[in-house]
Amino acid sequence: MSIIQKQLNKWLDKRIPTANQYQLNHKSIFIFPSKFGALFIGLCGLLFLLGTNYQNNLMLLLCYFLVSIFLVSLLASYINFAKIHLQMGKTSEVFVGDNLHFPMWLNADQKTLQPNGLINFKFKSEKIKINIDKSLSSNGNQIDGNNFTNPVTLNLLCPKRGKVNLSRVSVECFYPLGLYRCWTHLSFPNNIIVFPKPIPCDITLAEKSLNESGESGKTCQQSLGQDDFSHLKSYQLGEPLNHVAWKQLAKGRGMVSKQFASEDSQIGWLSLKHTAASVGLSQAEMLESKLGKLCYQVAELSRKNRVFGLDLGKTKIAPSSGMEHRQSCLTALATYGDD
Amino acid sequence: MIKALRPTEQLTTKHSVKSITLLILAIELVLVSLSLYESVFTWVMLIIGCSGVIRVIIYSQYYKHLPTIRTLNLLAVLSILGLIYSSFNESLLLIMVNLLVLACALKLMQARSQRDVYQLVSSLFFVIGCGFIFNQSIGFYIFYTLMSLILLISLACFQAPSLPIQRQCKTVLKLSLQALPISILLFLVLPHLPPLWQVPTSKSFETGLADNITPGDIAQLSQSSDLAFRATFQGPVPNPKDRYWRAIVMEDFDGKTWRTAPLRKKIQEQLKRQNKEFSPAVTGSYTEYDIMVEPTHQNWLFALDIATPNNSKSANEIWQSSNYQLISNQTLLSKYEYSVRSYPQALAHQRFTQIDQRLNLDVPESGNKKTQSWVAFQRKLKPSDDEFIQAVLRYFTQQPFVYTLRPKLMLSDPIDTFLFENQAGFCSHYASAFAYMLRLGNVPARVVTGYQGGELVKENNQAPYLSIYQYDAHAWVEAWTEQRGWQRFDPTALVAPDRIEFGLQQAMQDEGSFLADSPFSLARMSNVAWLNNFRLFLADLDYDWSRFVLGFDDTKQKDLFKLILGKVTPDRLSLLGLGIISLVALLLCLFFLPHWLKNRMDTTQRLYFKALDVFESAGTIRPNWQAPLSFSEDIQQQYPATISNPFTQITQLYLRIQYQDTNKHKHSVLNTKRTHKLMRNHLQKLKKEIIKNNKSPL
Repeated sequence: MSIIQKQLNKWLDKRIPTANQYQLNHKSIFIFPSKFGALFIGLCGLLFLLGTNYQNNLMLLLCYFLVSIFLVSLLASYINFAKIHLQMGKTSEVFVGDNLHFPMWLNADQKTLQPNGLINFKFKSEKIKINIDKSLSSNGNQIDGNNFTNPVTLNLLCPKRGKVNLSRVSVECFYPLGLYRCWTHLSFPNNIIVFPKPIPCDITLAEKSLNESGESGKTCQQSLGQDDFSHLKSYQLGEPLNHVAWKQLAKGRGMVSKQFASEDSQIGWLSLKHTAASVGLSQAEMLESKLGKLCYQVAELSRKNRVFGLDLGKTKIAPSSGMEHRQSCLTALATYGDD
Repeated sequence: MIKALRPTEQLTTKHSVKSITLLILAIELVLVSLSLYESVFTWVMLIIGCSGVIRVIIYSQYYKHLPTIRTLNLLAVLSILGLIYSSFNESLLLIMVNLLVLACALKLMQARSQRDVYQLVSSLFFVIGCGFIFNQSIGFYIFYTLMSLILLISLACFQAPSLPIQRQCKTVLKLSLQALPISILLFLVLPHLPPLWQVPTSKSFETGLADNITPGDIAQLSQSSDLAFRATFQGPVPNPKDRYWRAIVMEDFDGKTWRTAPLRKKIQEQLKRQNKEFSPAVTGSYTEYDIMVEPTHQNWLFALDIATPNNSKSANEIWQSSNYQLISNQTLLSKYEYSVRSYPQALAHQRFTQIDQRLNLDVPESGNKKTQSWVAFQRKLKPSDDEFIQAVLRYFTQQPFVYTLRPKLMLSDPIDTFLFENQAGFCSHYASAFAYMLRLGNVPARVVTGYQGGELVKENNQAPYLSIYQYDAHAWVEAWTEQRGWQRFDPTALVAPDRIEFGLQQAMQDEGSFLADSPFSLARMSNVAWLNNFRLFLADLDYDWSRFVLGFDDTKQKDLFKLILGKVTPDRLSLLGLGIISLVALLLCLFFLPHWLKNRMDTTQRLYFKALDVFESAGTIRPNWQAPLSFSEDIQQQYPATISNPFTQITQLYLRIQYQDTNKHKHSVLNTKRTHKLMRNHLQKLKKEIIKNNKSPL
């Protein structure tokens, strides 16, 4: 990144600070004649020359009229663009290799005026970066301000785990006559984390992680579907919804939840050390594959609502269960080795 | 002109969307080039038609493929060859227009990308601009303005494809109405420069008088009811029989054709090079008037005898020639106004030079034997010049001469045939024969062409003006005698006095040949009262249009400035400039005002948010979900009482105004203005305290 670009980014950060939602205004809108605008002004100059040489007042009038249209359309472009209100939506979980769907709600509030015309959305990209790292490709999205469905999504391919380096979102519009380009670079909170790509494997739970001597013999192997259904129980608030026996509910027997009998209801640990990597991989790839396997196991165990802890050497997450636990485990996996 | 398309340039928008823009552009191109039918070649017209049809077919989805780039390249090459072939003898202007229109048509055939659309729109605007070279009437102006608006609409359609067309029209109309006052201001105020360089023009656009006349060759005089020029008089308007508008003097005769003498042309060029302008000796009373000439693409100007330029601008732009013609320095490409002063009695008092004598006595030796012998006989009887002239004129009155616009062809010895056999013709026949006879009789004579007559329009509070039409074209004779100097003779007047007194229409009532080529011309139906009124109304409208819009030039601009400023000084001019700029800025602000007002929050809310901003700068931000009251409680905990108290007050006032039901508690509600005042006071206090707080960290 060149110095100019750095300065520019600094300036942008100051001018348009990160926010969850934006109502575009004079601080965030940039406006400049488009290429067509320049062509248009050139045309006006030509008409002026022709009108002067032929001493033709009508041609001059046309020229001045076009110049005035050019002036007035500056305001019209700005007013139209300033109608844009953008709010960041909730992103779904994203794993390495997936497309991140970044949703934005455009004027979701029906009371506000809708902007007209075609509006382009894309991630602002530093050109140099795109050249080097082709994999970080993002494609823009053009919507029609008069005919679109909320939310507007931007796709971004995520090749690496960890925090996404989300660049600013560029929005541009040429309405009404294409003479001006109105644009802005919006910065949304950068809290999206890409989890490692899950690699299906057997679930390997260690009974104790604190046992440093590495008793691998005590790990118990488990395969899918070993949790056997034992009985039904009336549903308690807080129980996972995927345990509800929907068939019973449909038959009109009320909310009941399935109970599973499993000898593994005791606390287990997932540990990086005890995860076997596939053979024939380099050091870095081996780590990634291990993390992927762990990721799979975390997802599986959480689905079954099991209590487990995560041991990644430096970071350890105490055994627990539930969505929040799952989230923190996945985050730990995603950010492993970042510091 | 045509390049292969890069895939990235393809439109990302829907198919139907881009074609509505292109369909509009196609219609536009066809209409605009139809308005230029006189200058666009027929085959170019055909190509335009084809491109229009292609667009219509694609829009109706009857056929979905554009012609391939290869086909188009071939077509382009062929067209260029065709253009080179057709424009062999044509002027540069014509070639330019044709090339432009052709390029538009080819572009339209292959337009796919955004860039194509933009280029097409720009070119079409330019074509419209060129249209003004050829057509300047109000009707065409309205037409071209409409076309420009449609172009803007097509642009809007391109930017917002799914807006209904009515809303597009509304948007464009709104923009245009906003632009209109600014453009008029610019037009009035920006300097009207003289031409920067000589522009190409074309012989084929020349209208009006020809620079030679060959009476015998014309079987039927083509007439048109087009306007030639208008003259606005400051004083009284001359009588119909005195309205001889001189344009071209023809002194060279070869037995058939009269034309400007080559020697005269040479002398003029020489004088022009030495910058020695001729000035006639002027005596007697004069009339002053302004003339507005239609574009003729020639240099002749028109004036009553003997005219001199009446102001410095006209004097600069007009060259006076030694045979009392006025010649414009610039070719008349658009309407041109000049002001002159005419001395009707001065013609007789001009100097008669050797060159004049030589040129005006020159006759071809051969041909027209009968006339020669007739003149020789008459001259013997009448030794005095005056008597001789009277004798010749008498011949015209005594013989059964007929004034007709449909004479027979007189190809050999035209003057003999005319004088002794046919005895029917129009003004050129009479003038030609008369001048020839005088020369044979050793009286210097020449043919002058120009216009005779004019339709007088007198409005109550307007200076009277004469409209002179093309059918008023006329030819007469000037003869020189020692006693009387130059004199004007019009043999036509003797044969058809109605022609001079009442105009051509009256004279041709019996023959029915007046404007026979254009049966629907309004001028032809002037005996129907309401039609004639309508025609005169149109003429009046056109007069004002020519005078105030087309004829607006730097002198009129100066007059306008004088009217506004009183006196034109640099200081005042620069003041005016500043004034205009601020006026434009003010207008723009005015257009912006509705948006600004809409976006403004009401005062109560604004004051509250200002207070929040103060805390934000101090480091405490109210989360979106937090209610004002609970935030106020937070503040009370975090900050000392000096800060939190005013804020609590502000919050309470804010809540009170925003949420209190005004209907229920009419009495307890505070006056809104007073509340705002209170809020402002508290805000001031808050700011002060926060600054103090920042300076002395806890």
